[in-house]
Amino acid sequence: MIDFQNLTYTYPGAARPALRAVALHVPEGGFALVVGPSGCGKSTLARCVGGLVPHFSGGVLRGKLSVGGHDPVALGPGGMSQLVGYVFQDPEAQAVMDRVEDEIAFALEHAGLPRHEMRVRVEETLDLLDLAALRDRALDSLSGGERQRVAIGAALALRPRILVLDEPTSQLDPQSAEDVLQALVRLNHDLGLTILLVEHRMERVLPFVDQVIFLSESGALSGTPEIVMPQIPLMPPLIALGKALGWSPLPLTIKAGLRFSRALALPPAAPAAPATPAAAPFFELQHVDAAYAGRQVLRGVDLAVAPGEIVALLGRNGAGKTTLLKCLVGLHRPTRGRAIASGEDNASRDVAAICRLVGYLPQDPNALLFADTVREELLITLRNHGIADHGEVDALLARLGLTPHANAYPRDLSAGERQRVALGAIMITHPRALLLDEPTRGLDYDAKQQLAELLHEWRSEGIATLLVTHDVEFAALLADRVILMGRGEVIADGPAASVLGSSPLFAPQIARLFPGTGWLTAADALRGLG
Amino acid sequence: MIHPLAWVGWLAAVMATLSAGRNPLHLVLVLLCIALVEAASPPTTERRSTPITPLRFALTVTAISAMLNALSVRYGDTVLLRLPDWLPLLGGAVTLEALVFGALSGLTLSGLFVTFIVAQRSLPTSALVGLIPRAFYPLAVVAAIAITFVPTTLRQARQIREAQAIRGHRLQRLRDWLPLLLPLLVGGLERAFQLAEAMAARGFASAGQPQHATALRASMVTGLAALLAGWLLILAWGQVRAGQLLMLIGGALLVGTLWLVGRRAPRTRYRRTPWASGDTAVLIGAAVAIIAFTLPLPGIDRAVLAYYPYPLLHLPRFDPVLGFATLGLAWPTAVLRGGRSRVVE
Amino acid sequence: MIQRILSGAIYALSTAIGIAAFLAPFFAPIVQQSAQPQAGAATAPLLLTALVGLCFLALLFEIQGSELSAKSVALLGILVAINSVLRFAEVAIPGPGGFSPIFMLIILTGYVFGGQFGFLMGTMTLLVSGVITGGVGPWLPYQMFAAGWVGLSAPLLRPLIRVLGGEGRRGELLALALFGALWGFAYGAIMNLWFWPFAAGPAQQYWTPGTGLAETLRRYLAFYVLTSLVWDALGAAGNVVLILAFGAPIVRALRRFRDRLGFVYQPEWSEQ
Repeated sequence: MIDFQNLTYTYPGAARPALRAVALHVPEGGFALVVGPSGCGKSTLARCVGGLVPHFSGGVLRGKLSVGGHDPVALGPGGMSQLVGYVFQDPEAQAVMDRVEDEIAFALEHAGLPRHEMRVRVEETLDLLDLAALRDRALDSLSGGERQRVAIGAALALRPRILVLDEPTSQLDPQSAEDVLQALVRLNHDLGLTILLVEHRMERVLPFVDQVIFLSESGALSGTPEIVMPQIPLMPPLIALGKALGWSPLPLTIKAGLRFSRALALPPAAPAAPATPAAAPFFELQHVDAAYAGRQVLRGVDLAVAPGEIVALLGRNGAGKTTLLKCLVGLHRPTRGRAIASGEDNASRDVAAICRLVGYLPQDPNALLFADTVREELLITLRNHGIADHGEVDALLARLGLTPHANAYPRDLSAGERQRVALGAIMITHPRALLLDEPTRGLDYDAKQQLAELLHEWRSEGIATLLVTHDVEFAALLADRVILMGRGEVIADGPAASVLGSSPLFAPQIARLFPGTGWLTAADALRGLG
Repeated sequence: MIHPLAWVGWLAAVMATLSAGRNPLHLVLVLLCIALVEAASPPTTERRSTPITPLRFALTVTAISAMLNALSVRYGDTVLLRLPDWLPLLGGAVTLEALVFGALSGLTLSGLFVTFIVAQRSLPTSALVGLIPRAFYPLAVVAAIAITFVPTTLRQARQIREAQAIRGHRLQRLRDWLPLLLPLLVGGLERAFQLAEAMAARGFASAGQPQHATALRASMVTGLAALLAGWLLILAWGQVRAGQLLMLIGGALLVGTLWLVGRRAPRTRYRRTPWASGDTAVLIGAAVAIIAFTLPLPGIDRAVLAYYPYPLLHLPRFDPVLGFATLGLAWPTAVLRGGRSRVVE
Repeated sequence: MIQRILSGAIYALSTAIGIAAFLAPFFAPIVQQSAQPQAGAATAPLLLTALVGLCFLALLFEIQGSELSAKSVALLGILVAINSVLRFAEVAIPGPGGFSPIFMLIILTGYVFGGQFGFLMGTMTLLVSGVITGGVGPWLPYQMFAAGWVGLSAPLLRPLIRVLGGEGRRGELLALALFGALWGFAYGAIMNLWFWPFAAGPAQQYWTPGTGLAETLRRYLAFYVLTSLVWDALGAAGNVVLILAFGAPIVRALRRFRDRLGFVYQPEWSEQ
């Protein structure tokens, strides 16, 4: 169905080719997962299939490409739209119309289909993606997952035989990501739709794909998951452990992994470490109630984070996590109770003063960046606070690994680099606390690793960190303590090993494999098993 | 619910009757009909409410207009007061006739304003965008995108404000708005690029040069030239009949060309408002009003409409047939109150 | 070749008719000198609006037809959304003042992306923000046309700015600010010209023998001073302030984007 032969592509003005001599084949009805380190050309590959590269982006393309028997380069995206449908990363940047039904019908209107035909197709698409209940809703009242399903529907309206998705779940929370991926699996199994999916978060989808394509500097490696996964450096903890312990065939799901893990002799559970006396907190919430848009969002929340501690806050969407963070920096006033930072009540200070002591990284770091260079971004924060620069900017840039980019335009950098620029902009005042709101969205494994190392470093310098995340593996890697929230209340608060280990919803993969041991990461398991 | 095209017809009728003349009695009758429709139309939605109520606007505009006219026109016999002549531009007599004329103009203008408000209130945004003629399909898509992205932009603006606040930004001077505006703009530009990709992937491509581009352009040029020539004939050489005919031809040529282009483009419409009997009634009422007010029919004394208070203020005359025709403008009230809900398929 | 001649003719004719229609109230009295007043002449303001509307449609069609790709449509849509959100500020601020924040973006995008984009930006901003804020009225064609001209004429600054020292210099910003000031007054004057025939009525009923162009101009000037001088001065001042404060970073950001968006796929890309 999709056939790349020795394809090489260079973006206009780029020094090196984005794709080098790529050769691969995806059969009809296949479900292929494209993985690879950041910048290896996964998105470029995806865009070649429908002709968006080179028609939309310019550049030089060499080699042969055949999709469904047609040549995308000759036909262009207009001609290929009946054959290939696309879904992109940002749920908010793909919709033309503001209602669900109109959005699905847009491509059909443009193609000039007769009205009765349009109605049939719209109904079909709504049913296929389980959107019938949402059909009259305005798009901006939907969640991210629902919007992505609408985007899939809009792409499917023209009845393409191939669906290409470029990181469709990277901006979504796990539940929404699950919905979207299940929809894709259904489309592939029931309709025989050929799917090409570019994704970082492999865990959820590996059990369902037929083919994994790994892109790197040396070309494309393609095969079934069991064959390819052991050969590539990126992998979820389950597979990392399986590889290290030599499990064969390599388990892709927890169920498969349990067969191996149950057979292992586990060392006796270590006695619970004596509870260390809680150090004096750097920032805390005392019996805080908060409301937002008429709803009660937080109820009687008590929370404290001490210096040199990383606390992870987990909970479903709508549990009030972002509001909690906003109360801690003074962006939101609690209706009851107190928010205290560095010994003083937040109510007596304004946001700028609080943020000199407590750094807050918002969910979308792009909202912070507007300067012409990276160095300028950090200088702007200093200027806002009225502080002169005595070399701190350069020191922090070096710390964050951004010195080579000091004069680059921040918005041109990769997602991980942009996040580090944003971190620089808020840490330049050397706050003693750090709040992070979903920092792992849109990051690949490498960038997550670098972020984890940075947070470790800062912890050892005594910075109190509160990390709100959906990424359980990331929390398992870093957190000393874990707090679970549900419906505005704190449900659990304790050491990471016990809270994560015993929660059915939030347990990381290793904890599910070895329940009761308190192991959270592959490293833990390997150490424990000797 | 009234079909958008029926509303357009009603708007045209109101505009024709309002601009036919300044006769106060007929004017009041028209305004009364408009007020009736206004009362029957659904209340303003939050997003599209005007900052001032129609009544207050009408009174303000009338008063201002009266005053302006009185101060800038020096014609009329009933002098109310005399401003000293040495005042630049303002010196001279302030006459009652000018005041009255100004007030009548103000009433006309406010009538127009309220009419448009009523029509907008009763039409959902999608219907308004749907009124854009097919020849301008790409611009209709632009309008749809803009309307879709306004809530997103507002939400982005809030997020940016919070993000800047946490790096110590305070809004004190004008320059401090830059950190709010620039990320909004750049974020929008980035999003536009992604949206363009998504649209291109769904087959949205530029049509390039339309077929018969030369013929289309030539007919537009001819139409424009005819408009200009006709107008010049009327203005410079006083050849009214010939000039009007030429202008009509020019206008028809332009509209016809656009209509043809619209037909040619292979676009279809998903949503369609069905036409109901209420819509026909509204159109008939509008047509009656337009015909009575613009065409020289026997039995109707249209000169009544051309009421000028100058040189001396006098009582206006009233033509009952015209008055009756005006009532056709009030039909939407009956339809709106009759209120069978309409399903937009 | 013939296409360009025809295209140019459409631009020229529609602009000529548009300007003539805007200025019509000035020479109406001269016209009425000889002809007898007709009852139908009382519809002149609406007829003029229809005339302006028609040529505006012709010009709009010509500009739209030349190039509207997915990139331009998406970019226009989102920029119009941002500009419409800015217009909320104009509607929400109570009190007098012809200040409108929308012209800054119209001028700057026209300057960076070209006259056609600027024209569409001006037109669609007025249309969409009018629909959203409930400001649709018979004045809309005039507003759209005038705002379109603002964007269409912005590239005229480019040769001037080249003389003043080129892009990125102080001269560029000052020239843009001056442009904003001029259009602040011009836009107000144009919209006033729409309002005046409605308010003052057809010319002939208060015309006395001996009134000529000078007298009409005097009357309009009186009208203008009373109504709109202060209003437009505020609008012009607002444009200047906004452009001076925000113009430079915005132009830089737009320029960065112009390169990314300017891709036209040439069929002869293959071997290089």
